[in-house]
Parts: sequence; structure tokens; C-alpha cells
Amino acid sequence: MPTRAGLPPGTLVMLILRVLRPGPLHGYAIAQRIRQLSSEQLSVEEGSLYPALQKVLVAGLVKADWTTSETGRRVRSYKLTAKGLKQLDAEQDNYQRMADAIASILEST
Amino acid sequence: MSFTFWRRIWHLVNRRRHERDLVTEMHEHREMMSDPKGFGDPHRLLERSRDAWGWNWLDDASQDLKLGLRGLVRAPGFTVTAVLILAFGIGLNLTLYQMVNVALLRPPAIASPDTLARFDRQSPSWTSTGLPYVASQIVARDNTALSAVLLEAGTPMVWGESTGTAASFVSANWFTELGYGPLIGRVFVPQIDGASDAPATVVVSHKFWRSQLGASPAVIGTSVVINKHAATLIGVMPANFPGLDLDQPAIWLPINQREHYYPDSAFLRSWETNNTAIYGRLKPGVSPQAAREMLKATMASLHAEQPDHFAADEWLEPLMGSVNFMRPGERIQILGVMSMIGALSSLVLVVAAANIGNLVLSRATGRARELGVRIALGARRSRIVRQLLVETLPLGMAGAIGGLAFSTWASSLVAALGDLPPYLDFSPDWRTMVVGLTLGVAALAVAGALPAWKVAQQELTAAIKDGGQQVSMRLDRARMRRLMVATQVAGSCLLLVIAAMTTRGLQRLLTSDLGFEYAQSALLESGLGQHGVSGEAARAYWSAVSERVRANPETLETALVLAPPLGGRIRETGYNDAPRLLVISNSVEPAYFSLMEIPLLSGRTFERGDDPTATVVISRRLAEQMYGSLDVLGKGFPKSEPTSFIIGVAGDAASIKVGAAGVAELYHPLALEDYEQAALIARARTDPTRLLPVLREAASIDPRVFPATRLLRDDFERRIFGTRMASGIAVAVGLLTLMLACIGIFGVVSYGVTLRTKDIGIHLAMGARRSAVLRLVMRQVLSPVAVGMLIGIAAAAPIGTALSRSPLQLQSADPVAYVGGFLVFGVAAAVAAMLPSMRVFRSDPIRALRHE
Repeated sequence: MPTRAGLPPGTLVMLILRVLRPGPLHGYAIAQRIRQLSSEQLSVEEGSLYPALQKVLVAGLVKADWTTSETGRRVRSYKLTAKGLKQLDAEQDNYQRMADAIASILEST
Repeated sequence: MSFTFWRRIWHLVNRRRHERDLVTEMHEHREMMSDPKGFGDPHRLLERSRDAWGWNWLDDASQDLKLGLRGLVRAPGFTVTAVLILAFGIGLNLTLYQMVNVALLRPPAIASPDTLARFDRQSPSWTSTGLPYVASQIVARDNTALSAVLLEAGTPMVWGESTGTAASFVSANWFTELGYGPLIGRVFVPQIDGASDAPATVVVSHKFWRSQLGASPAVIGTSVVINKHAATLIGVMPANFPGLDLDQPAIWLPINQREHYYPDSAFLRSWETNNTAIYGRLKPGVSPQAAREMLKATMASLHAEQPDHFAADEWLEPLMGSVNFMRPGERIQILGVMSMIGALSSLVLVVAAANIGNLVLSRATGRARELGVRIALGARRSRIVRQLLVETLPLGMAGAIGGLAFSTWASSLVAALGDLPPYLDFSPDWRTMVVGLTLGVAALAVAGALPAWKVAQQELTAAIKDGGQQVSMRLDRARMRRLMVATQVAGSCLLLVIAAMTTRGLQRLLTSDLGFEYAQSALLESGLGQHGVSGEAARAYWSAVSERVRANPETLETALVLAPPLGGRIRETGYNDAPRLLVISNSVEPAYFSLMEIPLLSGRTFERGDDPTATVVISRRLAEQMYGSLDVLGKGFPKSEPTSFIIGVAGDAASIKVGAAGVAELYHPLALEDYEQAALIARARTDPTRLLPVLREAASIDPRVFPATRLLRDDFERRIFGTRMASGIAVAVGLLTLMLACIGIFGVVSYGVTLRTKDIGIHLAMGARRSAVLRLVMRQVLSPVAVGMLIGIAAAAPIGTALSRSPLQLQSADPVAYVGGFLVFGVAAAVAAMLPSMRVFRSDPIRALRHE
């Protein structure tokens, strides 16, 4: 997964699930949200969102429906499923534990 | 997990729409972006999105398939050859499967064959397939095991003026119990046709209706004449109405009306003969074993009523319809012979597959450079194997379809040649198709997978540099290639030897000394017993008929015989004194021996006044095996518990079982009760066909009689028809496989010559002798051919031995068959190898060198 700010592999899926938690979003909005929430630190090649979205679709973590956006464009909006929510919690826990562990190593003298 | 699977399937089904959606979505996204460059390459991203759904292998496969099809279309010669070879290999196996399945193993198409049993009368020492009609009535009345009893007794009758017709007297419940209604008209109804005073009715088969009655619906209700007695035609059966054995009668008559056609017959009252086959429908919940036990009470009452005719230790043995009314032993024997023949026919498929494998291998080497480029571009070896394999898939499919077509054609041909009854349906069902596809896949595994694997193992990248020369050379010398040649040779050689054995078997039958002379004789059967002529009346009838026949100048001699040669029904007995012999006993007039040219080795033939129960003539083999010498005149027979005296020893005459081994003959004088069943043999001075009208005319002295006449040589032809057919098929298959193997050898040598054109050119330019060059190109097939031939010929011995116990009666230790097979194959193989090598002689060294 080519990223300019070195997004660790596999985390893109987690980030997508995370930004979908408050409510359904379409592809462009997902990209915008990730950029906003990361304070523009993480800048992913936006198109790589789509292969990742296909992966979560296959796994049944999100559902997609065609809707019309506020600007009147036809867009596909993605919605977290119950399975996706569970997966997100699990991944977040995992990631937290991992980050804590790495942090404690880095902070040791 | 399974949901994921269904989501993927859903995606696959709606693939086009999903891709279009994705493209639109990505396009919209880029539109919205201020700097679309930050999106990335849409094509690459689309490809990666596709990856997520995991259907790429399918794309690859369909692409390979398209490529393969294109390649096959571009090489029509190869394609047609390969498909024909495969179709033949698969078709032969399918035909065999289909014939065995339909004719021997599949239960007859009747209502619930699993509750219908044929009951054989059996005791510890003998078996009979029927019982007297009177007894069957008692079984039908007094039993607790059966819900219905069906009866059948077949006999030839005369329809109209003189049309000989196979008739079957059946119980009135026959059609309804078997689950069949009429095509038109009605079938027998027990309440109407089952009464003894019911008007005479007849139902005809579809075949008879079409061939004799012009397929006219108007025949229903008309009056017809059978054996000079009137009956009403009430119905026509559909074509698919099955017989319970392989014979189907042309007409059916109610068995209770038998005396209408044979007024003086004792058939319905006689306890003497087992004249009626009995079938029973088991009551719900009654197993065959239970039925056997429950019927023992009925048999006990029969014994009590008729102790002379029913022994205390007899029982009725149920043989179930679901296994075609066969005994387990018979079934196993048939399966044994058939699986042996099946093994041979699958050998043909192996030869065919090895052949195509070689062709595929040769073709693949020509593409070494192309495959090398793919490897260089990063394709994995498994991908190459897959490509080569998928490319051969259309071949396998076409071969399977062709095989199905071949087997349909071949089975109907065999059915027509063998005059099999029309209800046997040989058209392929789903099982045949599954077998065909399986065979196709199995053949592909050899013809496609092995070569693909071998090719992918090579250093294909090197092929880019030298145009595949190195790879081709290595593949040409590959062990697999030699193995495939050896397999073809072995299989073909084995089949050739077997074919030679069957041909020799046929030849033996045709030329062997049967021990008697049949070609000049004609036979008259009058069926006196059926018409109620018996005892003294029968003897008087025959002496009058014999006199009239002998009065004709064409007649050389006549003799009465109980079981006519080449087809009579006989009694076989085993004696403890000669345990390895099956003794066939027959009752004959004294003139029988001289008429049949059976020599009397010692003693005399019968004379008037010999006691039929105490005088016997035995055959040479019986004398040797039972007494150890031919000096047996006046001795008691059988040796240890004598009941009669031996008055003569005759030469061995295989008059009943042609070509069978371990059989000997025992002759009695005709007893008074034999005359009603006896037949007359007449020997002609010049032409036996001239005797047929003479016999018929003489037989008509009793107007009740319907004589049947035929030539003994026609009976002989009928007897050996099966052997003739088997040998024809074996030879055809053997020759076709020989052709396959020769194509294989030709291909390998020819390929080798093409590959070495440059080498050969150099050799020749340097002044090598052409014979040396020839040896060079032939060398590579020499050892696999030699090894294959040895294996094939060695394998023929045990297989021949196994088949010698089958009806084919092969002789495994037949040197002529071996030498014949060996020579035919050797010559054909040598020609196949020489033909392409001859190009060496024609080649011009300079042109050969410019070849590259």
C-alpha cells in the first residue's frame, strides 16, 4: 500500500472502518475524513482507497448503496455492518495494545 | 466464511455492473478532487480492486482456454486426429459399460423389481427353473409370503397359415403386476381372461404389430388364428415393455386358456414336467429369505400330496428382480469376465491417451520460445502448467462427446447385429455421461497434465536464445516420452495377442473335428407332447413319419433323438467316479451313430429289445476317465453303483456343447416316454435343404401337429455366432490399437528426424554412411518398443488364462497367437519407424544444413 507518510500495512482498512463509525460516507468523503482527522499528516494516494474498500466489501464489513450526495452527484455510500463494527473494535484494541507495547519499548532507557 | 463465498459468487454473477459502478465511482471521485493527480493510476487501482474479489484465476483460465482453442483451430490435423483417437478410446469403454449395464446389470424396467422374485425349484443336488403348472397353482393358493404369483411358459406357435411365432402363455395378472398397460386395446384382466371358460384372447408385442400387422389400430377386436384355433386380438403392448429374460415373445396368451390351442395336452394337469416359470410378488415387509422359509410349508404340502414328484428336501429359491433374477454366482461370474474385458478396453484408452500425450509433448516443444518469454516476464511454472493443461481441455471435452456418440452408435449396431430385444434402451443416460466425462478427465490427466508438467520443468528461459533447440532435444530424450511409447506398444501388443487368441478360438471351432457330421442333415421337431400325443401313439407317429421320410430318394438315413445335436435341451450329470467330467445324457435310435458318423470304438450299438433303463453306450472320454481303459464292455455303469450295462464305446462327439472342455456323452436307447419329445434327424444324399419340405410333408400325417424344420448347419452357425462376433470385435479393436501405436512410433521418429535435420546434414556432409544415420534416428524408439513388446506379450498369458474360463474359451498357451501377434506388431512397428526415417535417405545434406 503505497503511502507518502508511511501508513503501516493493513491500517488503511482500520481507518476506513473508523471514519465510517459515525455514519455512512461515500468514497470521496472517506478520503477527506481520513485526511482531516489525521490533521493532514497522513496523505494516502486517494485511489488506493478503492482496492481497500473492495476488500471490506468482500469480507462483509461494510455495505454499499447508491445515493445522491448533497451536491446532487450520484455517489456510492458505504455503511458499517454489525460485523464491521465488531471487527473495528477488535482491530482498535489490537492496535492500541501494539502501540502501547512499542511505545513502552521506545520510552525505556 | 460461507457468506463471503456467496458475496463473491454474487459479485461474479453481476461482474459487469460492479466494474462499471467502480469505474463511475472512481471517475466521480477524481472529478471532485482539486488535484486529480493525487488519485493515482486508475487502471492499476482498478486491477487491484478486482484482485480483492479473487476471480482472477478464472480470467486467466478462460484466456488460456481461448488461446488453446485458437491453437487447436490453427492445427486442424492435430486436433481432428487427437479427438478421433480420444473418442475411440472413450467410446469403446462407454459401449462396454453401456452394454453390460443395460443388458446384464440394470434390473428390468418393471414395477418394484426389488419385491419381484423368480422361484427356482431346488434340492441339495439339482435345480430347475420351473415347476409343473398344477404345482404352481397350489403355490399360488397356499402361501403366506406372496401377494401375487405370475406364471410364464414360452413355446413356438403358428400365427395364421404358417408364420412361426414366439408365444408366451402367461397368467392373466402378468401385465398389471409388471406395471404396464397396453399401447392400444387392453391387457389381460384376471376377472375376465383368468376364467377357464373365458373366450380366447391374445395380446401382441409392438414389434410383431409393426412387422406383421401393419401397425394398424384397427386390428384390435379382430379374430386371428393361432395354431388353427380362433382368438380375439385385444391389445398391443408398447415397445418398451420388457421381457424378464433376454427373449421377448411376439404374442402373449392366458395360460389358463392353453387347452384351447392344445385340446389333448396334459400341460395343465401333468406333474411330470417343470413346464412353468413362476414369479412371485413378495408381500410388504417379507424378505427373500423369509419368503423361502415361508414357502417351505407349501412345498411340504406338495410333498405330502405328490411324494413321487416332490421330494421332502426341496425348496423354492427366490432370485430377485433387482439383480436381474440372477444367482449371486452367475452375477459374480459375469462381473468377473466383464471386468477383465473392461480392463482390456481401458487399456485401449491408456494407449490412446499416451498417444495424444506424445503429440501434445511434441507440440509444446515447438512453443518452448513462447513459454520461455512468459517465464522471463515473471510467470510462475505452475502458471505454465496450468496454461498447457487448460489448452488441452477442449480436446478432452470433444473426445468425451465423440465417445458418447461412438458408444450410442456402436451399442445400437451390436443390438441390431445380435438381434437384441427392442425394450433394451442403449441410449446414454446421466450415468453414462458421468462415466464418459470421467474417462475424458482421466485421459486428459495423462495426455495433458504429464506433458505440461514435463515441459514446465525445463529451462525454458534458455529457449529464448536458441529457439527452443536445447529444450526440444531434452524433451525428445525424456524418459516420459519413451515411457509413453512403451505403454502404447505394450497395450497394443497385448490386445493383438488377445485378438489372435479369439481368432484362433473361432478357427478351432470352425475346423475342429466335432466328432460328428452335421452339414448334410436336417431336423424335424413335432412337439407331440404339447399336443397331447404320447406313449404308443407317439411311437406310432414317429415310425410312420420315419418311413415316409426314408421313402424319399433324397434321404440317406433317419434317426430319432431326444436332444437334437447343436441345440437340444439336455440333462447334465456329474458322477463321483469321474469328478472332473460333466456327463451329457441323450436317448437315441440305433441309427443315430452311423447317421452322425460317430464311430463305435468297441461293442455294438443298441438293438431292438435292449432295456432302455439298463443299457448304455458311453463315449471314449467317459470310459477313460471313469474306468481308466476302453475295455469296459459288459461292465456296470456308473462304476461304483451300477444301474446299467455298457454295451458299446463311441467316439467323443461334442454334439451339444460345441467346443466345451470336460464334457462326455452317455447314450440310452429311446424309452417309450421319450417319443413325445423326440426329434427326427434326416441325412440327405446331396442337399439337406431339399429334405425340409419332405420332412414337413411327412409330419403332417397327424393334423394336430405343427412341425418345425431346420438345417443343422444353421444351428451350428447360431451356436458360434457369439464367438464370431467376439473375435470380430477383438480383431477390430486390436488393429485399431495397433494403428494408434504405429501413429505414436511414427510421430516420435518423425519428430526426432525433424529435430536433428542439422545433425543429420553434418553427418552426411562428413561422409557418414546413411545406414549409420538411420540407426541414429531409429535408436531412440528401439528400446521402448522392445520393452513394450515384451511386457505386452508377457501380460497376455495370465489374461488369456483368465478369459479361457469365460464363454470366449481362449487357449492361453497358443504359440500361434503369440507368434502371430508378435510378427504383426513387429512388422507394423518397423514400417512406422522406417517411413519417417526414409527422409534421411532423401535429404540433401546442404539443404539440411540451411534448415535453420
